[in-house]
Amino acid sequence: MKRREFLGHAGAFGTVGLAGGLSVPALLSGAGRAYAAGDDIPVGLLFSLTGAVAVVEHTLHDAALMAIDEINAAGGVHGKQLRAIVEDPASDPATYSDRARRLMIRDKCVSVFGSYTSASRQAVLPVTEQRENLYWYPTLYEGRECSRNVMYGGAVPNQQQDILLPWLVENFGKRIYMIGNNYVYPKEENNYCRILLNELGGEVLHEEYVPLGHSDFSSVINRIRAQEPDVIFSTLVGDSDVAFARQYRAAELDPEKMPVCSLTRSEVEVKAIGGDAAAGHFSSAPYFMSNDTPENQRFVENYKSRYGADSVTHFVSEAAYFQVYQFKAALEKLDPANLSPTAIRDAAVGMSMMAPQGEILIDPNLHTHLWPKVGQWQSDGQAKVILQSEGRITPKPYAAYPGQDCTGDGLVKS
Amino acid sequence: MNTKLSYDIIGLTLFAGVILFGVPALFSYDGFELNTFSRYLSLAIVSMALALSWGTAGLLNLGQAATFGMGSYAMAMHLKLKASGDGLPDFMGWNNVETLPLIWGPFQSLTFTLLAGLLIPAAVGGLIAIFMFRARIAGVFVAIITLAFLVAFQLLVIEQQGLTGGQNGLTGLAQLVLFGWKIDIYSVSFYYMVGGCLVAALIFGLYLTHSKFGLVLRAIREDAERTRYFGYNVANYQTVIFCISAGLAGWAGMLYALVLEFASPTYMSVSFSLAIVIWCAVGGRESVLAAAVGAILVNLAEGRLSDVFVEGWHMILGVMFLVVVMFMPRGIYGLLVDAGRVLRRKPASTKEALPFDTPLNPKQES
Amino acid sequence: MDVVFNQAFAGLSIASILLIIALGLAIIYGTMGVINLAHGEFVMLGAYATWALQTYAGLGVVTALPLVFVAVAAVGWIIEKVIVQRLYTRPLDTILATWGIGIILQQAVRLGVGADSRFVSGPHWLSGNIEIGALVMSNYRLFVIAFSIMVLGATWLLMTRTEFGMKLRAVIQNRGISECYGIEAKNVYSVTFAYGAGLAGIAGALITPLFSTIPTMGTGLVVDAFLVVIVGGLGSLMGTAAAALLIGEVTALFSIVINDTLGRIAVLAGIILLIRFRPRGLFPSDIRH
Repeated sequence: MKRREFLGHAGAFGTVGLAGGLSVPALLSGAGRAYAAGDDIPVGLLFSLTGAVAVVEHTLHDAALMAIDEINAAGGVHGKQLRAIVEDPASDPATYSDRARRLMIRDKCVSVFGSYTSASRQAVLPVTEQRENLYWYPTLYEGRECSRNVMYGGAVPNQQQDILLPWLVENFGKRIYMIGNNYVYPKEENNYCRILLNELGGEVLHEEYVPLGHSDFSSVINRIRAQEPDVIFSTLVGDSDVAFARQYRAAELDPEKMPVCSLTRSEVEVKAIGGDAAAGHFSSAPYFMSNDTPENQRFVENYKSRYGADSVTHFVSEAAYFQVYQFKAALEKLDPANLSPTAIRDAAVGMSMMAPQGEILIDPNLHTHLWPKVGQWQSDGQAKVILQSEGRITPKPYAAYPGQDCTGDGLVKS
Repeated sequence: MNTKLSYDIIGLTLFAGVILFGVPALFSYDGFELNTFSRYLSLAIVSMALALSWGTAGLLNLGQAATFGMGSYAMAMHLKLKASGDGLPDFMGWNNVETLPLIWGPFQSLTFTLLAGLLIPAAVGGLIAIFMFRARIAGVFVAIITLAFLVAFQLLVIEQQGLTGGQNGLTGLAQLVLFGWKIDIYSVSFYYMVGGCLVAALIFGLYLTHSKFGLVLRAIREDAERTRYFGYNVANYQTVIFCISAGLAGWAGMLYALVLEFASPTYMSVSFSLAIVIWCAVGGRESVLAAAVGAILVNLAEGRLSDVFVEGWHMILGVMFLVVVMFMPRGIYGLLVDAGRVLRRKPASTKEALPFDTPLNPKQES
Repeated sequence: MDVVFNQAFAGLSIASILLIIALGLAIIYGTMGVINLAHGEFVMLGAYATWALQTYAGLGVVTALPLVFVAVAAVGWIIEKVIVQRLYTRPLDTILATWGIGIILQQAVRLGVGADSRFVSGPHWLSGNIEIGALVMSNYRLFVIAFSIMVLGATWLLMTRTEFGMKLRAVIQNRGISECYGIEAKNVYSVTFAYGAGLAGIAGALITPLFSTIPTMGTGLVVDAFLVVIVGGLGSLMGTAAAALLIGEVTALFSIVINDTLGRIAVLAGIILLIRFRPRGLFPSDIRH
């Protein structure tokens, strides 16, 4: 071991140590404070900016941040500005749990907006419920949850499928091929689909699950070609959906005879799939970017001017956006000296407001009444709305489980 | 040999003092900070477990996360059963499972869970070890086989949704009641429990490395063939250390599931397993104490960096890691050892321990 | 019966993709014993380079291939010279160092280009399918199969018929003596690493029209590529090809008989067993190392 080598090593150690040293001031944290006692109102943003889910979650982060900035520009709430504390949970549930604790306990956020995957939401649930904080979850999910500390902004299975299935069976046929990724969301959606198909006299040809992130669908396409379903009911997410759409097109299957109807495909996936491959297929969602209302036009214009002319809004980023406004509206009802998360939750129940998709309502069970639509993708990457629900659809997270109901008092079993 | 042992004992005492007294005082006994730090401590246990098999015996177990995950699922299964009262865990009902699977039944008992969390990972580690070491698989191939095993195991856990909760893992757990003590994971006593486990594990690890067993392992690491010629059953030694390392990883996993309040297949991902390797490398894989310190330091840095550099912290960690691997291959421990020698400026006396990679010269005794 | 033929073709397609990805890795590992965990990121770089060339220069996938090869090979060459070269005496440390490089490359792309999934359109003249009876074969996949065989052949020619190939084989056999003969082993290693990286880049370019292009696309590929290399046997091109074919067909078979997830588990179990009983792979080279 020569002195020169040692100095080289010490230099490396110094660089490493410097980075650690930069963090020393952050080691000492403040003692507990009351909620929003200071000059501003801290809110947490817990969307992944790195990792596998960042593809979608960064758009949720962008939409929520835009809403917060708009509110602040208009004067804030009760004269105070909203302070967004941004954390990056890196698509990892353990990191989600850690950062959520930081936001709720150390930073005393009055609410936290976050999560795309159910896994990350469930990782955050323990600390949210223990500390009686409020977690605003914008994403469609499988239902079967009834927490009193989560505001659910996304669709549950009955909202996605109640108007979709009858229409599919009527227009295309009764033979359904189910394909999804191998986790709880597709399984629950398929479960509910079977219940509806039973009533409609439909038939499930095949129910198939591929690993998350799986990309090679040659076997699936071979099977589809052999079985010739009337509709392909897809709950594939992310990369799998993109790969499947492209390979479907490369195999020259016909969307007019065997369309793919997806519950999860949004403008984000379509942009990656490409207009040609996406055209002719369907998605069921409460919101499409092409929605023709003044609120939506304003939302899309602001989003594009802020994040680029080729950026897209979709049904989850729209929810992330309107949830911030719901939060603001709830805050305004409260006494500024008493801004606790549970008070915000109670003020939010029963509130209706105009979102880019239409007028939405918060149910006592903390889910949202939405306007499901069925859209057909066009080659310009936008969806043309083919079917629109006549009224708002009530969220029933336990629709597939008779005997259980999610109410304003939590889960009630009869 | 004696000199090194006394250094290690001093180091361990200092470390225990800092962990058990210094840190809580620094954080003013704040529950949140201590809770975050206890997560680092449980990760330190798995890091030191890897140091036992990698640093001491030269076996790079890239599948350490699998045994870690087994431990965390064991604890989570127990807590899930407690949270479900008399009924089935909720996710089983949703997966159309009618009765409690046989494998879940015994986890009602706390004693069984605690033993299972240690012994099942050890047993699985032993099976893999027997599989590999009887065939005298060594070096890079150990890394690859353990990696393949990890990937397969994670896939299996995700696939068996009715048994394991699939991708979401086991969530909605009850609080642990440890022989009458209801554990609040934000309490100082919980922190002391985790800290105590870490110190106990370190004492055990130091005992192993300083014993004759450790000596033989180091011999195997240097030259397995030659050790075989001396009459030692190399495969047995490798298997035993692999088992011990796996059991310790399982123990760490149990604590981790307690701290985070859920168990997830992400605990068994390739990136997590490599992260364990990173912590061990940064601390210094030759010393179990250094590996534990490495885990704490890297996770602490990651926690603080992500606070400061929200967008770029991942990249900074990657760069730091690369710098460590290239210029500090023996980790911080290696740096300190070399610093010690430079500062002392004595010619290497026959009584001092030789550096890690000095080829043994027949003229010198050590 | 048609299902069997179609599945066999699917397996061939999977195999060809595995082959192109694994070939670069096999060359790097076979030559230098370097376990390059950043290989998946080289594939990702190739995919992004293709996207950039298509979006900003209007080049099609096939026209972009040589440029992508050169670009990613250049990155590989720099990485070898700056980092990997120092670690030849520490094989286990190359695993860690290349993992770190992989993280850095991934984050660099994410910070530079963004996390969005990028769209790359395949060449129009390759769209469509050839139908022989009930067997339907995608033109593009046929192209990829043909191309991978061509790349395999070109690599073999490079190794056996060129002067560089002769130097490379000499260095693989015995570095010390080759240097006594005046062969610059360092340069041979750098060029080889660059070539392996370039091949990975081409693989990335070829798979973009089929799969999606995101910064994290490499992580999943590197484990599969490694397993192909190990099963095939150290230092054997034929072995890598055979292993890719075997794994591709077995994966396709399992996924039609059971399901994709269990199929993958079964393949992994099979590989573990194979390594255990035949650690030197299917076609071990008969050079004593």
